[in-house]
Amino acid sequence: MAIMKKTIKLVVNGETREIAVEVNQTLLEVLREDLGLTGTKKGCNQGECGACTVLLDGKPVSSCLVLAVKADCKSVMTIEGVAKNGHLDQIQETFNEKGAIQCGFCTPGMILTTKNLLDENPAPSTDEIKEAIAGNICRCTGYVQIIEAITALAKAKNAQGGA
Amino acid sequence: MRLPEFAYLAPEDLQEAINLIGKYKNQYAILAGGTDLMIKMKQRLRNAPYVISLDQIAPLKTIREEASRIIIGPMNTLDEIINSPIIKAKLPALRQAAWKVGSPLLRAVATIGGNICLNTRCRFYNQSDFWRLSREKCFKAGGHICHVANKMAVCYSGFVADTVPALIAYNAIITLAGAGGTRKLPLADFYTGDGRRPNQIQRGSNEILTEIEIPVPGDDEKTVYCKYRVRESIDFPVVGAAVTVKKDARQQCLDARIILIGVGSAPLEAKLARDKMVGRSLDADLIAEVAATAAAEIHPVKTDLVAPSYKRKIARVVVAEALRAAGEA
Ligand SMILES: Cc1cc2nc3c(=O)[nH]c(=O)nc-3n(C[C@H](O)[C@H](O)[C@H](O)COP(=O)(O)OP(=O)(O)OC[C@H]3O[C@@H](n4cnc5c(N)ncnc54)[C@H](O)[C@@H]3O)c2cc1C
Ligand code: FES
Ligand code: FES
Repeated sequence: MAIMKKTIKLVVNGETREIAVEVNQTLLEVLREDLGLTGTKKGCNQGECGACTVLLDGKPVSSCLVLAVKADCKSVMTIEGVAKNGHLDQIQETFNEKGAIQCGFCTPGMILTTKNLLDENPAPSTDEIKEAIAGNICRCTGYVQIIEAITALAKAKNAQGGA
Repeated sequence: MRLPEFAYLAPEDLQEAINLIGKYKNQYAILAGGTDLMIKMKQRLRNAPYVISLDQIAPLKTIREEASRIIIGPMNTLDEIINSPIIKAKLPALRQAAWKVGSPLLRAVATIGGNICLNTRCRFYNQSDFWRLSREKCFKAGGHICHVANKMAVCYSGFVADTVPALIAYNAIITLAGAGGTRKLPLADFYTGDGRRPNQIQRGSNEILTEIEIPVPGDDEKTVYCKYRVRESIDFPVVGAAVTVKKDARQQCLDARIILIGVGSAPLEAKLARDKMVGRSLDADLIAEVAATAAAEIHPVKTDLVAPSYKRKIARVVVAEALRAAGEA
């Protein structure tokens, strides 16, 4: 009954995939090495930096700490799933515009965390924004432009919603 | 750093899990959220040929109120604790504490059971095998020396699990289940104070934490959890303090509890400080006196990055903050 390999079902960016994984592979390793989705970054590999953030059933998690077998039958969104039909999402556009990206290493995680935040809370306060991105460390921007970008997105969203 | 090889088991009911730990005695690791275990395994601090995941066992996810007790399953994630209406209404300090663990990315998967069973930590122990290679193995890693307190035959690694002080202040009782049966004990008694094996499960009892039970607190008492950490966004506590204050109609303290973490290998009850409170009203002078007493009661050792003298100062501030909040109506 003890097994070293298992076939799991993952809905990756909307597409159902069956993947044979080693039971000691992390979700991060499966995404990057088996599925070639290298947009998800490997930083510290120990839960500290958030570069490996993906949305697991809609919630941001550090994929370096999640065994792939534990994600069986769940849906995963990576940065590759954010743009649609060759067009960047508004979150990505706004990060560009506001200079919320420098080296870009934290960006995939930052964008996914932002996506979850705005899906759950369309009008976050500055404190709520800071709280949401607490686990996504950025060594370049100093966070100011990131917070500005998220604030601008929330404003734009609400202006649209109100119109 | 990859995970070592292991066989993965995901029992679907508790009895099956208990049978497995009986069969693979001391050869297995229980996996809850994995936010600690995965790192320990990558760092080669934990080697287990069998990993037994509890996430298929539905009853371990309960949160319910029953006969004036709140029953919490250990497999609730910290997010589930934070979002539970029962916990929000009846155990606000537990909610505060859960919210103070790590960052949102961790709380989405980290469980309360994993937090209760969290091993003690030390700056010389929680490191990769490569990092640790440059020195002799310490006690906790199976060697014969303590790098913090040089040579003395004691491991001082620090207890830093945030939900525990609040749970102890609320008089939590836990249930442990193993091949020999099921037993209940006050959460405070679960901890051994031995930095090498800081709780009964780590001592090798081959049991699973299956339930946390808390008597619904009375209206005359209030519990608060306060924490100081270096980076407010993600870090473990430098010091954490849960304070319960129970007052009579004249606003005098009938009873109190002060539970500290970050100051030793087990959660510490500041009893001398507590004794100063009974029968007195909690004004600014008393708060200052109690906080100073609590800070004098601890004996911190430099197992994290702050100096013990600094930790004492911080303990004083954190206890005073918690007392002020717990004293408010
Ligand atoms: C960057 C970072 C920051 C962190 N910050 C904090 C912090 O601020 N405060 C804090 O308290 N913690 C912190 N943690 C540690 C950890 O994330 C939490 O303590 C978490 O609650 C552990 O729960 P888990 O479910 O992930 O445990 P796991 O990793 O699954 O398990 C932890 C231990 O408990 C055992 N265990 C788990 N459940 C059971 C059970 N039911 N029965 C028997 N044994 C069991 C496991 O075998 C293992 O030894 C942090 C971790 C990281 C990586
Ligand atoms: S790579 Fe996962 S948190 Fe840093
Ligand atoms: S842009 Fe470089 S780490 Fe954030």
